Amino acid sequence: MGLTNTPSDLLPGTLELLILKALVRGSKHGYGIVEHLRLASDDVLTVGESALYPALQRLLQNDCVKAEWGTSENNRRARYYTLTAAGRRQLAAEQTEFDRMVGAIQRVLKTS
Amino acid sequence: MKTFLRGLLHLLRRSRHDADLREEIETHRALRQAALEQDGLDPFSAEWASRRAMGNVTLAVEDAREVWIWRALDQLWQDIRIAIRGLRKNPVFTFVTIATLALGIGANTALFSIFNGLILRPLPVREPARLALLLDGSWSYLVWSEIKARDKDLFDGAFAWANETFDLSRGGQSDFVEAAHVSGRYFELLGVSAVRGRVLNEADDTAAMPDGPVAVISHRFWRSHFAGAEDVIGRQITLQRKSFTIVGVLPPGFFGVDVGRMTDVMLTFAAEPLMRGEESILPAAGASWLNIVARRKPGQTLEQANAALRGVQPQIRAATMGGISPARVERYLTRPLTLVDAATGRSPLRSRFEKPLIAMVAAVALLLLVACTNIASLLMARVLARHRELSVRMALGGSRGRLARLLFTESLIVAIAGAALGLLFAQWSGALLVSQLSTWEGDVSLPLAIDWRVLGFSVALACASAIVAGVAPALGLRSVAAGEALKDAGRGLTGDRRFAVRGTLVAAQIAISLMLVTAAGLFLRSFTSLARMPLGFVPEPLLIAEVDLQASGGPIEQRGERAERLRAAAASAPGVKAAALSRVSLLTGGGWWANRVAIDDGAMPVEDVSANRLWRNATSPGWFDTMGTPLISGRDFTDADRAGAPLVAIVNPAFVKRYQLGQQPLGRTIRIGLPNGERRYEIVGIAGDSVYTSQHDGMMATMYVPLAQIAPLGGTVILTINADRSRRVAVQREVAAALARTEPATSFVFRTFDQFIDARVTQERLIAMLSTFFGALALLLAGIGLYGIVAQAVRSRESEIGLRLALGAQPGGIVRLVFHRVGILVAIGLTIGFAASYWAAKFVGPLLFHIDSRDPATFAAAAGVLVAAGLLAAWLPARRAARLDPARVLREG
Repeated sequence: MGLTNTPSDLLPGTLELLILKALVRGSKHGYGIVEHLRLASDDVLTVGESALYPALQRLLQNDCVKAEWGTSENNRRARYYTLTAAGRRQLAAEQTEFDRMVGAIQRVLKTS
Repeated sequence: MKTFLRGLLHLLRRSRHDADLREEIETHRALRQAALEQDGLDPFSAEWASRRAMGNVTLAVEDAREVWIWRALDQLWQDIRIAIRGLRKNPVFTFVTIATLALGIGANTALFSIFNGLILRPLPVREPARLALLLDGSWSYLVWSEIKARDKDLFDGAFAWANETFDLSRGGQSDFVEAAHVSGRYFELLGVSAVRGRVLNEADDTAAMPDGPVAVISHRFWRSHFAGAEDVIGRQITLQRKSFTIVGVLPPGFFGVDVGRMTDVMLTFAAEPLMRGEESILPAAGASWLNIVARRKPGQTLEQANAALRGVQPQIRAATMGGISPARVERYLTRPLTLVDAATGRSPLRSRFEKPLIAMVAAVALLLLVACTNIASLLMARVLARHRELSVRMALGGSRGRLARLLFTESLIVAIAGAALGLLFAQWSGALLVSQLSTWEGDVSLPLAIDWRVLGFSVALACASAIVAGVAPALGLRSVAAGEALKDAGRGLTGDRRFAVRGTLVAAQIAISLMLVTAAGLFLRSFTSLARMPLGFVPEPLLIAEVDLQASGGPIEQRGERAERLRAAAASAPGVKAAALSRVSLLTGGGWWANRVAIDDGAMPVEDVSANRLWRNATSPGWFDTMGTPLISGRDFTDADRAGAPLVAIVNPAFVKRYQLGQQPLGRTIRIGLPNGERRYEIVGIAGDSVYTSQHDGMMATMYVPLAQIAPLGGTVILTINADRSRRVAVQREVAAALARTEPATSFVFRTFDQFIDARVTQERLIAMLSTFFGALALLLAGIGLYGIVAQAVRSRESEIGLRLALGAQPGGIVRLVFHRVGILVAIGLTIGFAASYWAAKFVGPLLFHIDSRDPATFAAAAGVLVAAGLLAAWLPARRAARLDPARVLREG
C-alpha cells in the first residue's frame, strides 16, 4: 500500500463514511481510527494522515463529530473524536447511498 | 453564514489551531512508532520509519487548514501586504496621491458636513419627526394665544418662541447675548430637560410668575459666563437692565429650534412686558415676531394636523383682527394656515445658503473627479513602469484577475488613507467655512460633529474614488502579456500605445479644470463688481453707535431730547468732525418702509406688495453732510422742523423717477397711508441717491423725514459719527466716554460700515473664495497630470529622440514634437471644457451679480490660464528631451 490513500483513490465521500463507521463503537483518536480501518479491512485500507486530518476537520465543521482532548495509551495528549447525533444520521444516509452506488457499479461490471 | 463566521473565527485563532493539529499529528506518529517497536523494530528505526510514513506534517497541517480558511480572505491579506510594500517603495507617488485624495475627499466631506448640519440633521429633541412648523414665519402673540387655547385638542401641543438679542450690561457699551422668549410648554413639548435646576414651565409663562422673573441658560453660556459654577441656580442675570433668576442649565448641544443660531438665554413670553414696558408688543396685532411649532399626536399625519388647524382658522383669525389695516384683511383671512415638517428645525440660513451650497457641492464633486483622474493616470503610469514585474508575475502563474485585484487593492488603500486624512481636513476646513458665515448680525454655528451620515458619505466617496481610479489601470493590464518581459528586454522605439488612455484622462482633466477655473473667474468678477458698487455715501470715515434708549427706562416722550443731548456730546468729543442721528442705519438688510404712497392728489393705492417698496428714514439736521451724501437741490432739515411744525420730507432722484415727479419735485406733497387716514409731507429737498438695504438692490427710492417730527421715537437710535479713519480707535474711546458722561445708564454698541458691507456680501465672498481655491487646486492637479504624462512619453521615447538628434534633428524640432502632442490634448480638453462650461453657465447665473454667466472675457481668460499651465507642464520635459545627449542614449539604448 502507498503512503496515502488520498480521497481521490476512493469514491468521493467514502473516507468520511469510513471514519463515521469507525466511530460507531465509541470515541477514538486519529491513530485509533487508522488502526481500526486497517484491521477491519484486513490490511487493505491504510489511510494516510494527509487525508485523514482534513477529512476529520470537514466532519468537525459539519458537526458530524465532536472532538475532546484526552490522554492516549502512551500518555500523550490526543484528540478523541465522538460521533454526534447528526453524524449518526449522516452515516445512515451515506451508508444507504454507498450500498446503492456499489450495487450499481457491480451491476455495470457484471453486464459487460 | 455560520460556516463563514466559524471560518473567520478560525482565522483569528489560527496559530492556536495549527499548534493543536501539530500536536495531534505528533501523537499519531508516536503511537505508530510504539506499534512498530512492538513489532520488533529498534526505537531509532521505528521513529525514522514512523516519520517517513507520516510524510510531510506541515503539508498535512496546511491541507487541514485549507478546509477552514476562507481562502479569499487569506489572499486579500496577502494583496494588502503586497500593495503596502509596493506603495512604500514609491513614497513620492504615494504621498501625492494620498494628499490629492485627502484634499478632494476632505473638501467634499467638509461641504457635506455643513449640508448635514444645516439641512439633514434632526433636532436633538424627543421624536423630532412629529414636529411641524406653522409656515410663513412670524406671527403675532394674539394668533399664538388663540392657538395655545386649543393646542391640546388639535395636537399633542404647540409651542412658540421669538428670538431676541438682549444686553447683559448695566450701561455703557452693550454686551449682547442671543436669547429667546419661549412659551410655557416649549421644553415639555420638545422633551428637553435641564442638566442643572429645572426648565421653564407653564406657570412661569403666566402674569403671576410664582418664582418671579426667571431664565434658563445654555450649557455653553453656563461654562463661559459662570465658569460652570455648581451654585449657578438661583443667581441673577441682567437682561436689558432687568434682573432674572437663573433656574436651570440646558443640556449641552441644545440651542433651540433655529439651526445655526446658538440661543444662550431663554425666558418666557410673560417676561416680555417687563423689558419693553408700555411698548410691549404682546397685545399688538400688527407685530409679526414669533414662530409656532406643533407636536403632532402619535399617528397624526401632516394632512390631518393641517385639517385640524384649518378647522379653527376662522375663529383664530376673527379673534386677532383688531388693528390690521382694512387693506390687509382680505389677504389675512383667505390665506390658509399651513404646517410643514420641522424634524430638522428651522433656519433662515437654509434659503440663503442652499443655492450656493449646491453650487459648491457640484464644484467639489468635479474637483474630486479631477483628483481621481490624476490618481488613475498615476496608477496607470505605475502599471506601465511595472510592466516587467507584472509580466513576470503572470508568467509565474498569477491570474490576470488576481493581478487586477492587486492593483485595485492599491487604489483602495490609497483611497482609505485619503479619506481618513480627508476627514481631519474636513473637520478643520468645515469649521473655518462656518466661521466665515458669522457677521456682526450674529454668530453662525453649526453642529459639524462626524455622525453616521458624514462618515458614511466619506466612506462612499472613498469607495467611489477607488473604483474610478482603479478601473483605468486594471484596463491597462490587458496590454500586459505573460512572459513578454522575458522575451523582450524593453527596448523599442515606440512605446506609447497606452498614451491614448492616459491622454483621454488628461484631456478630461483639462476640460473639468476649465469649468472650475471659468466658474472661479465668474464668481470673482461678480464679487468685485459687487464690492465696487457705488454706495451713494462715503463709508470710510464713518463710525456708527447704536444707542439703546429703551432699556435704561425713562418716559418715551423724552427720548428725542435725550438722543439730541447724546449727539451733541459725541459731536464735541475730540477728533469728531460731525455727528448726526437717524432712525435706520443703511446696509443692514432691512429698514423702515411704506407700502401706501400717493403724490399730490393721486389715488391712494390699496397696498404695494412689490419688493420695490418705498424706503424711509428719519434724520437729524446735518445727517447728509455726515454721511457724505450730496444735497442736490432744496434744503436740509433744520432745527425749525420740529414736532408741531409743518411735516417736510427730502427725497432722492430714484424717488423722483419712481413717482414721476418730473422737473419740479420741490414743493410737491407726499401722502403716506395709515391704518386710519393719511399723513402729508411737503418735499423741501433732493439728496443724492444711495443704497439702502443692500448693495444687491442698488439705489432705492427713499424718503427722509426729520427725526424731531417722529413721535414716539423708537427704542434705538443710530448715531453716525464722521472722524478720521486712522484715528478711529481713539475717537471710539472718546465718544464712549462722552456718551457715558452724559447718560451713564444708557448702553450703546459701535459698528462700522466695513461690518455692514461685509455682512451683505458674505455669500458672494464665500463663493468667490471657495471657487478660487477649487479652481486653483484643479489647475494644479491638471498641471501635474499633464506633466506626468508628457514626462513619461518623453522618457519612453528617449531612444527615438536620441536617434533623431543623432541624425541631425534640431533641439527646437524636438520641442515642437513634444508640444505638438500636448497641444492636441489641451485643444481637445479646452473644446470639451468650453462646451460643458457653456452648458453649466445656466445654473451659475442666479448666483452672479452684474455679470453675464457666459461672459466672453472670463471664458477667454480661463482658457488662457489653462493654456499657460499646459505650456509650463510641457515645457519642463520638452526642455529635457531637447538636451538629451544622443551618444549616451544610443549607447545605453
